[in-house]
Amino acid sequence: MTWTEFNYLAPPAVGLWWLSAAAVMRGRRRLAEAALLAGLAVFTVFVAAFWRDLGRPPMRTMGETRLWYSLFLSGAGYLAYRRWPYPWLLAFSALLASVFAIINLLKPEIHSQALMPALQSVYFIPHVTVYMLAYALLGVAAMAGLVQLRRLKRGQADPELYAFLDNVVYVGFGFLMLGLLSGAAWAKEAWGHYWSWDPKETWALVTASAYLLYIHMRLKDIRPRLTLGLLSLALLLLMITWLGVSYLPSAQGSVHVYS
Amino acid sequence: MESYPEKMWRFPCSYRENLLIVAALMLGGLAAQLVIGPFDYFFLHYPVNVVLGALILLLALLGRPFSRAPLFRWLGSVPWAVSLILGLMVLSLIMGLTPRLLHLPPEPDFFLRLGLAQMTSCWPFVLIYLLILLSLALVTVRRLRFKRGGLLFFLNHGGLWLLMAAAGLGAADLRRHVMYVNEGQVEWRVYGENKEVLELPLAIRLDDFDLDFYSPKLALVDRHSGRPQPEGRPDWHQIDPGRVDGRLGQWEIRVLEYIHQAVPGEGGGYREIPMPASTPAAHVLARNLASGEIRQGWVLSGNRYVPLSLLALDDNLVVAMTQPEPRRFSSKIKVYTREGQEREAALEVNHPLKIGPWMIYQYGYDQASGRLSPYSSFELVYDPWLLPVQAGLILLAAGALGLIWQGRRRRAAV
Repeated sequence: MTWTEFNYLAPPAVGLWWLSAAAVMRGRRRLAEAALLAGLAVFTVFVAAFWRDLGRPPMRTMGETRLWYSLFLSGAGYLAYRRWPYPWLLAFSALLASVFAIINLLKPEIHSQALMPALQSVYFIPHVTVYMLAYALLGVAAMAGLVQLRRLKRGQADPELYAFLDNVVYVGFGFLMLGLLSGAAWAKEAWGHYWSWDPKETWALVTASAYLLYIHMRLKDIRPRLTLGLLSLALLLLMITWLGVSYLPSAQGSVHVYS
Repeated sequence: MESYPEKMWRFPCSYRENLLIVAALMLGGLAAQLVIGPFDYFFLHYPVNVVLGALILLLALLGRPFSRAPLFRWLGSVPWAVSLILGLMVLSLIMGLTPRLLHLPPEPDFFLRLGLAQMTSCWPFVLIYLLILLSLALVTVRRLRFKRGGLLFFLNHGGLWLLMAAAGLGAADLRRHVMYVNEGQVEWRVYGENKEVLELPLAIRLDDFDLDFYSPKLALVDRHSGRPQPEGRPDWHQIDPGRVDGRLGQWEIRVLEYIHQAVPGEGGGYREIPMPASTPAAHVLARNLASGEIRQGWVLSGNRYVPLSLLALDDNLVVAMTQPEPRRFSSKIKVYTREGQEREAALEVNHPLKIGPWMIYQYGYDQASGRLSPYSSFELVYDPWLLPVQAGLILLAAGALGLIWQGRRRRAAV
């Protein structure tokens, strides 16, 4: 399968995800779950066949990493929803997953068969996969943080939601760290040093620090609004690390700029 | 929780106080930077770094019996940790937003003298880094106990301490050099920072350099501007034996024959000969979708020995081949150490060679010459602190898995 077939397989997946979001907000939980999983299945089939025909994991270009974001966002959203049945959680995951599929439909980037030598490594797949999982979970955390912030402003924080939030952040941060550490191990193999203060690395540190701030500030219940707001800021930093670094003046000569 | 007598046990306990202290430290660091210049890592060379690391650990050990002492309570407190993390975040944010300078100009202005463009040797950064090390050591030792929750805390904090201590304090002992070796020759010299010649305790003989490349792409190019067409959103056709038909703008194309390693043959054609001077060649048939006109010919990106070849479609457009991208490049080398050790290896990107405390990496080649590169370059890295760094990485990875596995343990009182 190629990007041409994506034009036929992505719209049904997006439609199913929208159906899922609409259904769960109207209380039709079974339908919502079924639709989400059906969308996920369609998308998974595309990614698997695309991978096979590409002859390499589709994780190199921006468009390809967005595929995984959609995939894991819907998957992680489903699992999180099963664990913590908040309707908005499923709706948010489904809508965000569709957003990335739509971006790929509207702006398919030039995709090349070639994988430069530095990317040919056993670390490649685990490195990108854990990051995509982390992005998905931390995206959910930012959303849940905003919901909690609204509750807090109305006077009452939800302790259940706090427990959920902290869990999602801990798990997401765990994946973020695995991504960072596998990246360091890989860099040692490919570029001679595990940390070179490349802009992408520096931004990864900024992002990790932001989540560390949240985790440590939650240990004491001082300034709860600031703490919750941090989750949105941290997600913004995460997005800059992932998508924005290439456009920064500091990124001239970065080894991480996607082709 | 903090129900100790106010006057006796006073230490900065609010965020505000702690942040002020961190801010003051950073400003003090900047002042130090202006007066004495950037932090010189030369100072940290072995054994100074070991002594410093041991001192930090000693302080942390002292923190265990004296854990009620205000100084230790403060250095191991949450607000202090939060303030330090914020300090590190602000400094790395500056680093992430501004381009890094490798060398200061001879007469730097005030802003450059602050050293923020060379953050890792800037005093505020060094101070925050050392304080984080101290804090991490303190809480790691204080919480050291053989229980499950204690284990995860140890993995995350102790692992980070080991990683940061070995990487940061060990940075002074790190040596990295790039060595250029011509094919068939032995080299043991590299250039230092000031272009002086350094002799290394190991020598490399380059026996063979080889490069394999991906099959290239075809593109429609405007022969006057040289730009790929359609303008702004160019079409590419990836040469692929499984997909011979494609479309470039208003032209339907078919790759009749593709030769990965071609040299000119008889009668204007090409034939496959695997040799360094060969170049990819495609025999292309193009048909105009509107007029049905047909063009046919060989398309090559060419190299020093085989000339470029384009397929002209009309007065403006030609079909051209992109420069092939490297799939892998490798060097067959033999390494000699001063101690008389000899090792043969085939180096590739992502497949370095470890010999004693040195790691040797495939670094580069003459990109203009591609496969015909007369030399291959290697990066030689000497890092005596790699082992503790790797141990720290492993501890932290285990800690990350622990976080994923158990999330945040809910405690009775939050």
